Amino acid sequence: MSGGGPLGRGALGRALARNRRRLVIAVPLLWLGLFFLVPFLYVAKISLSVPAIARPPYLPLWEWKDGTLDLSLNFGNFLFLIQDRLYLAAYLESLRIAAISTLITLLIGYPMAYAIARSPAGRRNLLLMLVILPFWTSFLLRVYAWIGFLKSNGVINNTLMALGLIDTPLVLMQTDFAVYLGIVYTYLPFMILPLYANLARLDGALLEASADLGARPLTTFATVTLPLSARGIVAGCMLVFIPAVGEFVIPALLGGPDTLMIGAVLWNEFFSNRDWPVASAVAVVMLLVLILPIMLLRRVQAAPEADASKAEDAA
Amino acid sequence: MAQTVPGRTAPPQTTTPQTVTSAVPRPWEDPAATPFVRVEGVTKRFGSFTAVQDVSLDIYRGELFCLLGGSGCGKSTLLRMLAGFEDVSAGRVIIDGRDQTGVPPYLRDTNMMFQSYALFPHLSVEKNIAYGLRREGLPRAEIATRVTDMLSLVQMQGFAARRPHQLSGGQRQRVALARALVKRPKLLLLDEPLGALDRKLREETQLELIKIQQSLGITFIVVTHDQEEAMTLSTRLGVMTEGRIVQTGTPHEIYEFPRSRFVADFIGSVNLFDGRIAVDGTDSATIACPGAGMDIHISHSVAGTVGQAVTVAIRPEKIEMLASPSGTRPNAVEGRVEEVAYMGNLSVYHVRLDSGMIVRVNMSNRSRYDDDVPRPGASVVLEWDGSAGVVLEG
Ligand SMILES: Nc1ncnc2c1ncn2[C@@H]1O[C@H](COP(=O)(O)OP(=O)(O)O)[C@@H](O)[C@H]1O
Ligand SMILES: [Mg+2]
Repeated sequence: MSGGGPLGRGALGRALARNRRRLVIAVPLLWLGLFFLVPFLYVAKISLSVPAIARPPYLPLWEWKDGTLDLSLNFGNFLFLIQDRLYLAAYLESLRIAAISTLITLLIGYPMAYAIARSPAGRRNLLLMLVILPFWTSFLLRVYAWIGFLKSNGVINNTLMALGLIDTPLVLMQTDFAVYLGIVYTYLPFMILPLYANLARLDGALLEASADLGARPLTTFATVTLPLSARGIVAGCMLVFIPAVGEFVIPALLGGPDTLMIGAVLWNEFFSNRDWPVASAVAVVMLLVLILPIMLLRRVQAAPEADASKAEDAA
Repeated sequence: MAQTVPGRTAPPQTTTPQTVTSAVPRPWEDPAATPFVRVEGVTKRFGSFTAVQDVSLDIYRGELFCLLGGSGCGKSTLLRMLAGFEDVSAGRVIIDGRDQTGVPPYLRDTNMMFQSYALFPHLSVEKNIAYGLRREGLPRAEIATRVTDMLSLVQMQGFAARRPHQLSGGQRQRVALARALVKRPKLLLLDEPLGALDRKLREETQLELIKIQQSLGITFIVVTHDQEEAMTLSTRLGVMTEGRIVQTGTPHEIYEFPRSRFVADFIGSVNLFDGRIAVDGTDSATIACPGAGMDIHISHSVAGTVGQAVTVAIRPEKIEMLASPSGTRPNAVEGRVEEVAYMGNLSVYHVRLDSGMIVRVNMSNRSRYDDDVPRPGASVVLEWDGSAGVVLEG
């Protein structure tokens, strides 16, 4: 790459060739800037403004009057988040639900990804297709379908009663259980795909070498397969955990009145209370909370297979 | 497969074991010796494809046995059945008197050095080597000393903390060898152990491998497609093709007494003269070779039937090239030098006989000057002794 390809003969061509690497990076940077940074700055701006009954429902952050720039930053929205216990509780509850859901998704997704990666090459694509298949129907429809299963006269309760296993319907809807189920169900493909990509690359000779050196299958799994798939695990967990923290539809439709997730709080602030500044402050804090695990992810991926040998020490 | 034409079949191994004075033991010549590894009629099928077909093999303790064959002939598959990675479709494998059928790799007293080395990328050199010992649950102190000893045996003392991706190909090869040896297996299986090394390093490592094998006294089975490597390394070798072993023997036996056209042609270079038995006496025979335009005289009986199609295989270094006939050898034929390939220690001459057949002749370059050597276009006489040719069936 260092020489640059024969892009063109003219000065422009040479300049392009020289800056090709920078250009290559510039495209995604521009994309991120346009569709991520700008909206975020906009939300951050709103979070520092004063709510008002107006259109839009907040006062401008700055005013240009008679040659002076009046800039008023209102940190009250953030203070409000600290003062009202509701918000802290919602954040913690969201993190807890997301963490538990991620763990369950991992426990279900890992064996599935492993089985797909170890199945004959011809069957792998079919199995992957099946994993992705749910994406072909609307997410909302699939959540509603779960309501049909879980409600008191839904498929599950009707079946159990018809079999005589229970007399009164189980309360499945509007419970934490339903929320976990919804999240795990929805995000399972996001766990399976990166894990599959990782496990499919695992060199079978390493597993044979491990067996050859006297390791039983479970030991081989713990000392070779698991450490070598650490990056897949981290990637899958992040892909599930991050959107699950902000999840709003699933708790709203499947959760009960006490399911307090920050996504739902955010929705309420925006649409019920029309308090855009507080809602924006909630969003900004949520982003800051999520940046932590993202940075963790970056760290793990930057250092190739870093410290995975500790697993061998523990084994 | 072609069978030996009986006659001069027996290689010089007619001495009884008691009278053998050689320092190197030859247990395969001792009918009382029990083989350490017995492969009995082993076949391996993948679906409808047969990768290994009815292979039987006896290997003795302390041997360095090479499985030699072209790519895809089933060498690795046979080795993998010994290690336990593949089940046998038929037959059985016995190691040290124990039938290995159904024994998983982690319970076998064998260790394997993989063609790709298969070093654990997430573990340091030290931990790679210690891996097998930790699985045995040995005390930490003992593991540490054995790993250190092994590191010095393969001369990798300074690299204990490195990861495999920080090593050169030759260093990885050493670590892979150390990792397999540290378990002190009864049988070490090596799949193309030197295949990834460049030529010079490979030659050095071959000698080192022999030294290590002899000092530890472990039985080695080495898979290779490189005939020179097999000749250098092995006490005996088995030549494989299309899933079968076509001949086993010492390097000397395989080279000088091939039992089929395939083996003669596969090991080293050879001139093959197709013909028919014209005369078969008690201690001499004549093979009529119309392709070469001559009769080839053999100084022993070939015990075939007159008229039977045979092939005479003659190694290029067994042929003498002269300017005029010496009159002392039973076989002489005229030809013209077509090409000369200078190899340094020797030159390979392509000589076209009057019949049109090309014969390869090797001559060692004893003189530093090339005034006397035949040049392309020169008329020469090729001569060889009655014992130079090996008579093979068809
Ligand atoms: N697991 C397998 N499934 C199907 N065919 C196989 C398998 N392993 C090996 N083979 C086939 O068996 C033949 C012998 O393979 P191998 O023993 O690896 O040859 P080599 O002598 O080069 O080591 C090859 O044609 C290969 O394609
Ligand atoms: Mg092979």
